[in-house]
Amino acid sequence: MIEAKNLSMKYEKGGRYALESASFYIDRGEFVFFVGSSGAGKSTLLKLIIREIRPTDGVLKIFGRDVGRLPRHRLPYLRRNIGMVFQDFRLMEERSVYDNVAFAMVVIGVSRREIRKRVPHVLGLVGLHDKAKTRVCDLSGGEQQRVGLARAIANRPAMIIADEPTGNLDPGTTLDIMNLLRSINLRGTTVLVATHNREIVDRFKKRVLYLENGKLIGDEQKGIYAHVH
Amino acid sequence: MSISSFFYIIVETFKGLYRNRWMCITSTGVVVVTLLMLGVFMLVNLNISHITETVKEQVEIVVYIDETADQEMLDELGQKLSAHSGVAGIRYVSSEEHMNRLHRQLGGMLEGYDAELDNPLLASYEIRTVVPESVAVLASEFETYPGVSTVFYGQGYVENLFAVTGVVQMVGLALMAGLSITAVFLISHTIKLTVMMRKREISIMKYVGATNWFIRWPFVLEGLLMGFAGAVMPLVALYYLYQFSLEWVSANNLAFLTLLPAWVVTVELARYLVPLGTGLGVLGSVFSMGRFLRV
Repeated sequence: MIEAKNLSMKYEKGGRYALESASFYIDRGEFVFFVGSSGAGKSTLLKLIIREIRPTDGVLKIFGRDVGRLPRHRLPYLRRNIGMVFQDFRLMEERSVYDNVAFAMVVIGVSRREIRKRVPHVLGLVGLHDKAKTRVCDLSGGEQQRVGLARAIANRPAMIIADEPTGNLDPGTTLDIMNLLRSINLRGTTVLVATHNREIVDRFKKRVLYLENGKLIGDEQKGIYAHVH
Repeated sequence: MSISSFFYIIVETFKGLYRNRWMCITSTGVVVVTLLMLGVFMLVNLNISHITETVKEQVEIVVYIDETADQEMLDELGQKLSAHSGVAGIRYVSSEEHMNRLHRQLGGMLEGYDAELDNPLLASYEIRTVVPESVAVLASEFETYPGVSTVFYGQGYVENLFAVTGVVQMVGLALMAGLSITAVFLISHTIKLTVMMRKREISIMKYVGATNWFIRWPFVLEGLLMGFAGAVMPLVALYYLYQFSLEWVSANNLAFLTLLPAWVVTVELARYLVPLGTGLGVLGSVFSMGRFLRV
Protein backbone atom coordinates (compact mmCIF):
# COMPACT_ATOMS: atom_id res chain seq x y z
CA MET A 1 0.00 0.00 0.00
CA ILE A 2 2.85 2.41 0.90
CA GLU A 3 6.31 1.84 -0.50
CA ALA A 4 9.13 4.31 0.20
CA LYS A 5 12.57 3.94 -1.37
CA ASN A 6 15.39 6.28 -0.31
CA LEU A 7 12.78 8.94 0.40
CA SER A 8 14.34 12.33 1.20
CA MET A 9 12.99 15.79 1.80
CA LYS A 10 14.70 19.14 2.22
CA TYR A 11 12.54 22.22 2.72
CA GLU A 12 15.33 24.56 1.65
CA LYS A 13 18.04 24.10 -0.92
CA GLY A 14 21.28 23.57 0.97
CA GLY A 15 19.40 23.15 4.26
CA ARG A 16 19.27 20.07 6.44
CA TYR A 17 17.25 16.99 5.56
CA ALA A 18 13.81 16.87 7.20
CA LEU A 19 13.75 13.27 6.03
CA GLU A 20 16.77 11.41 4.72
CA SER A 21 16.85 8.22 2.67
CA ALA A 22 13.91 6.54 4.34
CA SER A 23 12.87 3.15 2.96
CA PHE A 24 9.94 1.09 4.25
CA TYR A 25 6.86 -0.82 3.17
CA ILE A 26 3.43 -0.70 4.78
CA ASP A 27 0.88 -3.30 3.83
CA ARG A 28 -2.89 -2.96 3.51
CA GLY A 29 -4.68 -3.18 6.87
CA GLU A 30 -1.63 -2.44 9.03
CA PHE A 31 -1.61 -0.18 12.11
CA VAL A 32 1.66 1.76 12.26
CA PHE A 33 3.00 4.33 14.72
CA PHE A 34 5.54 6.91 13.52
CA VAL A 35 7.41 7.97 16.63
CA GLY A 36 10.19 10.38 17.40
CA SER A 37 10.75 13.72 19.07
CA SER A 38 9.73 17.07 17.55
CA GLY A 39 11.58 17.70 14.28
CA ALA A 40 12.31 13.98 13.81
CA GLY A 41 10.49 13.95 10.45
CA LYS A 42 7.11 12.41 11.37
CA SER A 43 4.98 15.23 10.02
CA THR A 44 7.17 15.54 6.94
CA LEU A 45 6.54 11.88 6.19
CA LEU A 46 2.78 12.29 6.56
CA LYS A 47 2.84 15.41 4.38
CA LEU A 48 4.69 13.43 1.72
CA ILE A 49 2.08 10.66 1.86
CA ILE A 50 -0.80 13.05 1.24
CA ARG A 51 1.39 14.90 -1.29
CA GLU A 52 1.19 18.20 0.51
CA ILE A 53 4.88 18.35 -0.40
CA ARG A 54 6.96 16.59 -3.06
CA PRO A 55 10.03 14.54 -2.12
CA THR A 56 13.41 16.01 -2.95
CA ASP A 57 14.75 12.52 -3.74
CA GLY A 58 13.59 8.94 -3.79
CA VAL A 59 10.30 7.29 -4.63
CA LEU A 60 7.07 7.10 -2.64
CA LYS A 61 4.36 4.83 -3.98
CA ILE A 62 0.87 4.98 -2.51
CA PHE A 63 -1.70 2.50 -3.82
CA GLY A 64 0.93 1.58 -6.44
CA ARG A 65 1.30 5.14 -7.79
CA ASP A 66 4.39 7.31 -7.51
CA VAL A 67 2.91 10.31 -5.67
CA GLY A 68 5.95 12.47 -6.39
CA ARG A 69 5.07 12.36 -10.07
CA LEU A 70 1.32 12.61 -9.58
CA PRO A 71 -0.05 15.58 -11.56
CA ARG A 72 -1.71 18.27 -9.44
CA HIS A 73 -5.17 17.63 -10.89
CA ARG A 74 -5.01 13.97 -9.74
CA LEU A 75 -4.30 14.92 -6.11
CA PRO A 76 -7.95 15.13 -5.00
CA TYR A 77 -8.49 11.52 -6.11
CA LEU A 78 -5.49 10.34 -4.06
CA ARG A 79 -6.78 12.21 -1.01
CA ARG A 80 -10.27 10.72 -1.30
CA ASN A 81 -8.66 7.41 -0.35
CA ILE A 82 -6.94 8.90 2.68
CA GLY A 83 -8.74 10.16 5.78
CA MET A 84 -6.87 12.83 7.73
CA VAL A 85 -7.06 13.41 11.49
CA PHE A 86 -5.29 16.44 12.95
CA GLN A 87 -4.04 17.42 16.39
CA ASP A 88 -6.00 20.71 16.17
CA PHE A 89 -9.07 18.85 14.79
CA ARG A 90 -9.48 21.32 11.87
CA LEU A 91 -13.25 21.45 12.06
CA MET A 92 -15.68 24.15 11.06
CA GLU A 93 -16.47 25.23 14.58
CA GLU A 94 -19.58 27.28 13.91
CA ARG A 95 -21.26 24.42 12.07
CA SER A 96 -23.01 21.35 13.43
CA VAL A 97 -21.45 17.93 13.88
CA TYR A 98 -23.65 16.61 11.07
CA ASP A 99 -22.55 19.42 8.71
CA ASN A 100 -18.88 18.79 9.40
CA VAL A 101 -19.14 15.12 8.51
CA ALA A 102 -21.49 15.67 5.58
CA PHE A 103 -19.14 18.35 4.25
CA ALA A 104 -16.45 15.74 3.49
CA MET A 105 -18.96 13.80 1.40
CA VAL A 106 -20.56 16.75 -0.35
CA VAL A 107 -17.27 18.13 -1.64
CA ILE A 108 -16.50 14.89 -3.46
CA GLY A 109 -19.97 14.68 -4.99
CA VAL A 110 -21.69 12.01 -2.84
CA SER A 111 -25.46 12.10 -3.38
CA ARG A 112 -27.65 13.77 -0.76
CA ARG A 113 -29.55 10.53 -0.21
CA GLU A 114 -26.32 8.67 0.49
CA ILE A 115 -25.16 11.47 2.83
CA ARG A 116 -28.41 11.31 4.80
CA LYS A 117 -27.90 7.58 5.19
CA ARG A 118 -24.17 7.51 5.92
CA VAL A 119 -23.65 10.44 8.32
CA PRO A 120 -25.80 8.99 11.16
CA HIS A 121 -24.08 5.64 10.67
CA VAL A 122 -20.59 7.19 10.93
CA LEU A 123 -21.61 9.30 13.92
CA GLY A 124 -22.87 6.09 15.56
CA LEU A 125 -19.47 4.47 15.02
CA VAL A 126 -17.69 7.25 16.92
CA GLY A 127 -20.41 7.47 19.58
CA LEU A 128 -21.83 10.86 18.60
CA HIS A 129 -25.23 9.85 17.17
CA ASP A 130 -27.01 12.03 19.74
CA LYS A 131 -24.86 15.12 19.01
CA ALA A 132 -25.56 15.47 15.31
CA LYS A 133 -27.18 18.88 15.66
CA THR A 134 -24.74 20.27 18.22
CA ARG A 135 -22.35 22.95 17.07
CA VAL A 136 -18.73 21.79 17.13
CA CYS A 137 -17.67 24.73 19.30
CA ASP A 138 -20.03 23.45 22.02
CA LEU A 139 -18.25 20.05 22.21
CA SER A 140 -15.35 18.94 24.42
CA GLY A 141 -11.89 18.33 22.90
CA GLY A 142 -12.40 14.57 22.86
CA GLU A 143 -15.78 14.93 21.18
CA GLN A 144 -14.31 17.29 18.61
CA GLN A 145 -11.64 14.72 17.77
CA ARG A 146 -14.40 12.11 17.38
CA VAL A 147 -16.01 14.42 14.83
CA GLY A 148 -12.61 14.62 13.12
CA LEU A 149 -12.48 10.83 13.07
CA ALA A 150 -16.04 10.55 11.78
CA ARG A 151 -15.16 12.98 8.98
CA ALA A 152 -12.01 11.00 8.17
CA ILE A 153 -13.88 7.70 7.79
CA ALA A 154 -16.99 9.19 6.15
CA ASN A 155 -15.79 8.46 2.62
CA ARG A 156 -14.62 4.94 3.52
CA PRO A 157 -10.95 5.63 2.79
CA ALA A 158 -8.43 2.80 2.48
CA MET A 159 -6.10 4.62 4.86
CA ILE A 160 -6.36 6.92 7.88
CA ILE A 161 -3.50 9.26 8.70
CA ALA A 162 -3.54 10.80 12.17
CA ASP A 163 -0.97 13.48 12.99
CA GLU A 164 -0.66 13.69 16.79
CA PRO A 165 -4.40 12.93 17.16
CA THR A 166 -4.24 12.95 20.95
CA GLY A 167 -1.82 15.85 21.38
CA ASN A 168 -4.53 18.14 22.76
CA LEU A 169 -6.43 15.56 24.80
CA ASP A 170 -6.36 14.31 28.40
CA PRO A 171 -5.21 10.69 29.05
CA GLY A 172 -8.74 9.25 29.34
CA THR A 173 -9.92 10.81 26.11
CA THR A 174 -6.66 9.85 24.43
CA LEU A 175 -7.38 6.20 25.13
CA ASP A 176 -10.93 6.54 23.74
CA ILE A 177 -9.65 8.04 20.50
CA MET A 178 -6.93 5.41 20.14
CA ASN A 179 -9.46 2.64 20.73
CA LEU A 180 -11.61 4.13 18.02
CA LEU A 181 -8.64 4.16 15.65
CA ARG A 182 -7.97 0.52 16.53
CA SER A 183 -11.59 -0.44 15.83
CA ILE A 184 -11.40 1.38 12.49
CA ASN A 185 -8.23 -0.60 11.76
CA LEU A 186 -9.97 -3.85 12.65
CA ARG A 187 -12.50 -3.13 9.91
CA GLY A 188 -9.64 -3.31 7.39
CA THR A 189 -8.53 0.31 7.13
CA THR A 190 -4.79 1.00 7.24
CA VAL A 191 -4.03 3.40 10.11
CA LEU A 192 -0.89 5.53 10.39
CA VAL A 193 -0.42 7.52 13.58
CA ALA A 194 2.35 10.04 14.19
CA THR A 195 2.81 10.55 17.91
CA HIS A 196 5.25 11.08 20.71
CA ASN A 197 2.85 9.70 23.31
CA ARG A 198 4.92 6.98 24.97
CA GLU A 199 2.04 5.35 26.91
CA ILE A 200 -0.11 4.89 23.85
CA VAL A 201 2.63 3.34 21.75
CA ASP A 202 3.66 0.99 24.53
CA ARG A 203 0.07 0.02 25.31
CA PHE A 204 -1.06 -0.78 21.78
CA LYS A 205 1.99 -2.83 20.77
CA LYS A 206 1.68 -2.16 17.05
CA ARG A 207 4.32 -1.76 14.37
CA VAL A 208 6.54 1.25 15.15
CA LEU A 209 8.74 3.22 12.75
CA TYR A 210 11.34 5.22 14.71
CA LEU A 211 12.50 8.53 13.33
CA GLU A 212 15.33 10.71 14.59
CA ASN A 213 16.77 13.84 12.97
CA GLY A 214 15.06 12.95 9.70
CA LYS A 215 16.41 9.40 9.62
CA LEU A 216 14.46 6.19 9.95
CA ILE A 217 16.43 4.46 12.70
CA GLY A 218 14.19 1.53 13.48
CA ASP A 219 11.20 -0.50 12.33
CA GLU A 220 9.72 -3.00 14.81
CA GLN A 221 6.61 -5.12 14.86
CA LYS A 222 4.90 -4.78 18.27
CA GLY A 223 7.45 -2.10 19.14
CA ILE A 224 7.66 0.04 22.25
CA TYR A 225 8.57 3.71 22.54
CA ALA A 226 11.64 3.16 24.73
CA HIS A 227 13.50 1.77 21.70
CA VAL A 228 13.75 5.26 20.25
CA HIS A 229 16.60 6.00 22.56
CA MET B 1 -20.79 17.64 -11.59
CA SER B 2 -23.42 15.82 -9.54
CA ILE B 3 -26.74 17.43 -8.60
CA SER B 4 -25.75 17.49 -4.92
CA SER B 5 -22.49 19.28 -5.82
CA PHE B 6 -24.40 21.79 -7.96
CA PHE B 7 -26.85 22.56 -5.16
CA TYR B 8 -23.99 22.66 -2.69
CA ILE B 9 -22.20 25.29 -4.78
CA ILE B 10 -25.32 27.42 -5.18
CA VAL B 11 -26.28 27.15 -1.51
CA GLU B 12 -22.68 27.76 -0.39
CA THR B 13 -22.49 30.86 -2.58
CA PHE B 14 -25.47 32.46 -0.84
CA LYS B 15 -24.48 31.12 2.58
CA GLY B 16 -21.00 32.56 2.03
CA LEU B 17 -22.49 35.91 1.04
CA TYR B 18 -24.67 35.88 4.16
CA ARG B 19 -21.99 34.64 6.57
CA ASN B 20 -19.48 37.23 5.35
CA ARG B 21 -22.13 39.85 4.70
CA TRP B 22 -20.17 42.77 6.11
CA MET B 23 -17.08 41.88 4.13
CA CYS B 24 -19.26 41.36 1.03
CA ILE B 25 -20.92 44.72 1.55
CA THR B 26 -17.46 46.30 1.88
CA SER B 27 -16.21 44.58 -1.29
CA THR B 28 -19.34 45.53 -3.21
CA GLY B 29 -19.04 49.07 -1.82
CA VAL B 30 -15.50 49.27 -3.16
CA VAL B 31 -16.72 48.12 -6.59
CA VAL B 32 -19.63 50.61 -6.44
CA VAL B 33 -17.44 53.59 -5.52
CA THR B 34 -14.73 52.73 -8.06
CA LEU B 35 -17.15 52.03 -10.89
CA LEU B 36 -19.15 55.13 -9.99
CA MET B 37 -16.04 57.27 -10.38
CA LEU B 38 -15.15 55.40 -13.54
CA GLY B 39 -18.72 55.85 -14.78
CA VAL B 40 -18.67 59.61 -14.15
CA PHE B 41 -15.45 59.94 -16.16
CA MET B 42 -16.88 57.74 -18.90
CA LEU B 43 -20.02 59.85 -18.94
CA VAL B 44 -18.02 63.07 -19.28
CA ASN B 45 -15.78 61.50 -21.90
CA LEU B 46 -18.69 60.14 -23.90
CA ASN B 47 -20.27 63.57 -24.03
CA ILE B 48 -17.02 65.32 -24.86
CA SER B 49 -16.55 62.82 -27.70
CA HIS B 50 -20.11 63.46 -28.82
CA ILE B 51 -19.72 67.25 -28.74
CA THR B 52 -16.36 66.97 -30.51
CA GLU B 53 -17.85 64.76 -33.20
CA THR B 54 -20.74 67.19 -33.66
CA VAL B 55 -18.30 70.09 -34.00
CA LYS B 56 -16.07 68.07 -36.30
CA GLU B 57 -19.03 67.37 -38.57
CA GLN B 58 -19.43 71.10 -39.00
CA VAL B 59 -15.79 71.60 -39.98
CA GLU B 60 -15.52 72.10 -43.73
CA ILE B 61 -13.25 73.55 -46.39
CA VAL B 62 -14.51 76.38 -48.52
CA VAL B 63 -12.75 76.55 -51.91
CA TYR B 64 -13.41 79.97 -53.47
CA ILE B 65 -13.37 79.91 -57.26
CA ASP B 66 -11.31 82.35 -59.21
CA GLU B 67 -13.60 84.94 -60.85
CA THR B 68 -11.78 84.38 -64.18
CA ALA B 69 -12.65 80.68 -64.22
CA ASP B 70 -15.08 79.69 -66.97
CA GLN B 71 -17.84 77.08 -66.73
CA GLU B 72 -15.60 74.31 -68.08
CA MET B 73 -12.94 75.01 -65.46
CA LEU B 74 -15.62 75.15 -62.78
CA ASP B 75 -17.00 71.74 -63.76
CA GLU B 76 -13.53 70.24 -63.98
CA LEU B 77 -12.68 71.56 -60.52
CA GLY B 78 -15.97 70.17 -59.15
CA GLN B 79 -15.26 66.74 -60.64
CA LYS B 80 -11.69 66.74 -59.35
CA LEU B 81 -12.78 67.66 -55.82
CA SER B 82 -15.60 65.06 -55.80
CA ALA B 83 -13.24 62.34 -56.98
CA HIS B 84 -10.70 63.05 -54.23
CA SER B 85 -10.48 60.15 -51.74
CA GLY B 86 -10.33 62.51 -48.75
CA VAL B 87 -13.58 64.25 -49.67
CA ALA B 88 -16.86 63.02 -48.23
CA GLY B 89 -19.11 65.44 -50.15
CA ILE B 90 -19.11 68.76 -51.97
CA ARG B 91 -21.68 71.45 -52.52
CA TYR B 92 -21.51 74.28 -55.04
CA VAL B 93 -22.47 77.69 -53.70
CA SER B 94 -22.87 80.39 -56.35
CA SER B 95 -21.91 84.03 -55.71
CA GLU B 96 -25.64 84.86 -55.67
CA GLU B 97 -26.28 82.35 -52.90
CA HIS B 98 -23.39 83.80 -50.91
CA MET B 99 -24.97 87.23 -51.28
CA ASN B 100 -28.35 85.89 -50.17
CA ARG B 101 -26.73 84.32 -47.10
CA LEU B 102 -25.09 87.65 -46.32
CA HIS B 103 -28.46 89.38 -46.68
CA ARG B 104 -29.97 86.94 -44.24
CA GLN B 105 -27.11 87.34 -41.77
CA LEU B 106 -26.85 91.12 -41.89
CA GLY B 107 -30.56 91.85 -42.35
CA GLY B 108 -31.27 95.50 -43.07
CA MET B 109 -27.63 96.56 -43.18
CA LEU B 110 -27.40 95.76 -46.92
CA GLU B 111 -30.57 97.71 -47.77
CA GLY B 112 -30.30 99.42 -51.17
CA TYR B 113 -27.30 97.42 -52.24
CA ASP B 114 -27.81 95.95 -55.73
CA ALA B 115 -26.52 92.45 -55.39
CA GLU B 116 -27.18 91.44 -58.99
CA LEU B 117 -25.23 94.25 -60.53
CA ASP B 118 -22.35 94.52 -58.15
CA ASN B 119 -21.71 91.25 -56.34
CA PRO B 120 -18.09 91.03 -55.13
CA LEU B 121 -18.53 87.60 -53.56
CA LEU B 122 -16.88 84.59 -55.17
CA ALA B 123 -18.65 81.32 -55.93
CA SER B 124 -17.32 78.37 -53.92
CA TYR B 125 -17.34 74.67 -53.27
CA GLU B 126 -18.10 73.73 -49.68
CA ILE B 127 -16.35 70.47 -48.88
CA ARG B 128 -16.87 67.96 -46.09
CA THR B 129 -13.83 65.77 -45.58
CA VAL B 130 -13.77 62.08 -44.69
CA VAL B 131 -11.39 62.77 -41.80
CA PRO B 132 -12.08 66.19 -40.22
CA GLU B 133 -8.51 66.36 -38.88
CA SER B 134 -7.17 66.33 -42.47
CA VAL B 135 -8.69 69.71 -43.43
CA ALA B 136 -5.39 71.61 -43.23
CA VAL B 137 -3.53 69.17 -45.49
CA LEU B 138 -6.37 68.97 -47.98
CA ALA B 139 -6.84 72.74 -47.99
CA SER B 140 -3.23 73.34 -48.96
CA GLU B 141 -3.59 70.72 -51.73
CA PHE B 142 -6.80 72.29 -53.08
CA GLU B 143 -5.12 75.69 -53.19
CA THR B 144 -2.92 74.44 -56.02
CA TYR B 145 -5.85 73.32 -58.20
CA PRO B 146 -6.50 75.43 -61.32
CA GLY B 147 -9.42 77.80 -60.97
CA VAL B 148 -9.05 78.13 -57.20
CA SER B 149 -8.77 81.60 -55.77
CA THR B 150 -8.44 80.98 -52.04
CA VAL B 151 -9.19 78.20 -49.59
CA PHE B 152 -10.67 78.73 -46.14
CA TYR B 153 -11.20 76.17 -43.38
CA GLY B 154 -11.11 78.21 -40.18
CA GLN B 155 -7.31 78.24 -40.02
CA GLY B 156 -6.07 78.41 -36.44
CA TYR B 157 -9.46 77.67 -34.79
CA VAL B 158 -9.70 74.13 -36.15
CA GLU B 159 -6.18 73.22 -35.07
CA ASN B 160 -6.91 74.52 -31.57
CA LEU B 161 -10.19 72.62 -31.39
CA PHE B 162 -8.54 69.34 -32.35
CA ALA B 163 -5.64 69.90 -29.95
CA VAL B 164 -7.97 70.64 -27.00
CA THR B 165 -10.37 67.75 -27.65
CA GLY B 166 -7.38 65.42 -28.15
CA VAL B 167 -5.94 66.41 -24.78
CA VAL B 168 -9.33 66.12 -23.02
CA GLN B 169 -9.84 62.62 -24.42
CA MET B 170 -6.34 61.51 -23.52
CA VAL B 171 -6.76 62.77 -19.95
CA GLY B 172 -10.13 60.98 -19.73
CA LEU B 173 -8.64 57.72 -21.00
CA ALA B 174 -5.68 57.99 -18.62
CA LEU B 175 -8.07 58.58 -15.68
CA MET B 176 -10.25 55.64 -16.71
CA ALA B 177 -7.21 53.36 -17.04
CA GLY B 178 -5.94 54.51 -13.63
CA LEU B 179 -9.32 53.93 -11.99
CA SER B 180 -9.64 50.48 -13.58
CA ILE B 181 -6.26 49.45 -12.18
CA THR B 182 -7.23 50.85 -8.77
CA ALA B 183 -10.50 48.89 -8.94
CA VAL B 184 -8.68 45.63 -9.72
CA PHE B 185 -6.30 46.22 -6.82
CA LEU B 186 -9.01 47.11 -4.29
CA ILE B 187 -11.40 44.36 -5.31
CA SER B 188 -8.81 41.58 -5.35
CA HIS B 189 -7.60 42.82 -1.98
CA THR B 190 -11.02 42.75 -0.35
CA ILE B 191 -11.88 39.37 -1.89
CA LYS B 192 -8.54 38.08 -0.63
CA LEU B 193 -9.69 39.05 2.86
CA THR B 194 -12.92 37.05 2.50
CA VAL B 195 -10.93 34.08 1.21
CA MET B 196 -8.49 34.40 4.13
CA MET B 197 -11.38 34.34 6.57
CA ARG B 198 -12.34 30.98 5.10
CA LYS B 199 -8.90 29.46 4.65
CA ARG B 200 -9.63 26.75 7.23
CA GLU B 201 -12.67 25.66 5.23
CA ILE B 202 -10.59 25.63 2.04
CA SER B 203 -7.79 23.60 3.59
CA ILE B 204 -10.34 21.06 4.91
CA MET B 205 -11.81 20.79 1.43
CA LYS B 206 -8.34 20.16 0.01
CA TYR B 207 -7.61 17.43 2.59
CA VAL B 208 -10.85 15.57 1.95
CA GLY B 209 -10.23 15.54 -1.80
CA ALA B 210 -12.26 18.39 -3.28
CA THR B 211 -11.04 19.51 -6.69
CA ASN B 212 -9.76 23.06 -7.07
CA TRP B 213 -12.69 24.03 -9.26
CA PHE B 214 -15.18 22.67 -6.77
CA ILE B 215 -13.57 24.88 -4.13
CA ARG B 216 -13.38 27.88 -6.44
CA TRP B 217 -16.96 27.85 -7.75
CA PRO B 218 -18.74 29.35 -4.70
CA PHE B 219 -16.05 32.06 -4.45
CA VAL B 220 -16.20 32.74 -8.16
CA LEU B 221 -20.00 33.02 -8.03
CA GLU B 222 -19.75 35.26 -4.99
CA GLY B 223 -17.25 37.47 -6.83
CA LEU B 224 -19.52 37.50 -9.87
CA LEU B 225 -22.58 38.51 -7.85
CA MET B 226 -20.66 41.16 -5.91
CA GLY B 227 -19.17 42.52 -9.14
CA PHE B 228 -22.56 42.52 -10.85
CA ALA B 229 -24.24 44.31 -7.94
CA GLY B 230 -21.27 46.67 -7.81
CA ALA B 231 -21.80 47.54 -11.46
CA VAL B 232 -25.59 47.80 -11.52
CA MET B 233 -25.84 50.16 -8.54
CA PRO B 234 -23.59 52.88 -10.01
CA LEU B 235 -25.35 52.39 -13.33
CA VAL B 236 -28.73 53.21 -11.77
CA ALA B 237 -27.21 56.12 -9.84
CA LEU B 238 -25.52 57.47 -12.97
CA TYR B 239 -28.76 57.20 -14.95
CA TYR B 240 -30.61 59.43 -12.49
CA LEU B 241 -27.63 61.75 -12.10
CA TYR B 242 -27.43 62.14 -15.86
CA GLN B 243 -31.19 62.68 -16.19
CA PHE B 244 -30.89 65.43 -13.62
CA SER B 245 -27.94 66.97 -15.53
CA LEU B 246 -29.92 66.93 -18.79
CA GLU B 247 -32.83 68.68 -17.11
CA TRP B 248 -30.47 71.24 -15.60
CA VAL B 249 -28.84 71.91 -19.01
CA SER B 250 -32.20 72.46 -20.69
CA ALA B 251 -33.52 74.56 -17.77
CA ASN B 252 -30.49 76.85 -17.98
CA ASN B 253 -30.78 77.41 -21.74
CA LEU B 254 -27.50 75.65 -22.49
CA ALA B 255 -28.94 74.05 -25.62
CA PHE B 256 -25.67 74.56 -27.49
CA LEU B 257 -24.33 71.67 -25.36
CA THR B 258 -25.53 68.83 -27.54
CA LEU B 259 -25.56 66.07 -24.89
CA LEU B 260 -26.36 62.44 -25.57
CA PRO B 261 -29.78 61.13 -24.50
CA ALA B 262 -29.89 59.32 -21.12
CA TRP B 263 -30.74 55.87 -22.50
CA VAL B 264 -27.86 56.03 -25.02
CA VAL B 265 -25.43 56.90 -22.25
CA THR B 266 -26.82 54.22 -19.92
CA VAL B 267 -26.59 51.49 -22.58
CA GLU B 268 -23.05 52.58 -23.42
CA LEU B 269 -22.03 52.61 -19.73
CA ALA B 270 -23.71 49.23 -19.13
CA ARG B 271 -21.72 47.75 -22.03
CA TYR B 272 -18.52 48.56 -20.17
CA LEU B 273 -19.40 48.63 -16.48
CA VAL B 274 -21.36 45.36 -16.20
CA PRO B 275 -18.71 43.13 -17.86
CA LEU B 276 -16.00 45.11 -16.06
CA GLY B 277 -17.64 44.72 -12.62
CA THR B 278 -18.46 41.03 -13.02
CA GLY B 279 -15.09 40.36 -14.64
CA LEU B 280 -13.27 42.11 -11.82
CA GLY B 281 -15.27 40.15 -9.23
CA VAL B 282 -14.54 36.80 -10.90
CA LEU B 283 -10.87 37.54 -11.58
CA GLY B 284 -10.43 38.96 -8.09
CA SER B 285 -11.80 35.71 -6.61
CA VAL B 286 -9.73 33.41 -8.83
CA PHE B 287 -6.47 35.30 -8.31
CA SER B 288 -6.87 35.79 -4.59
CA MET B 289 -7.47 32.04 -4.06
CA GLY B 290 -4.30 30.78 -5.74
CA ARG B 291 -2.19 30.71 -2.58
CA PHE B 292 -4.85 28.92 -0.53
CA LEU B 293 -5.33 26.16 -3.09
CA ARG B 294 -1.67 25.14 -3.00
CA VAL B 295 -2.17 22.66 -0.12
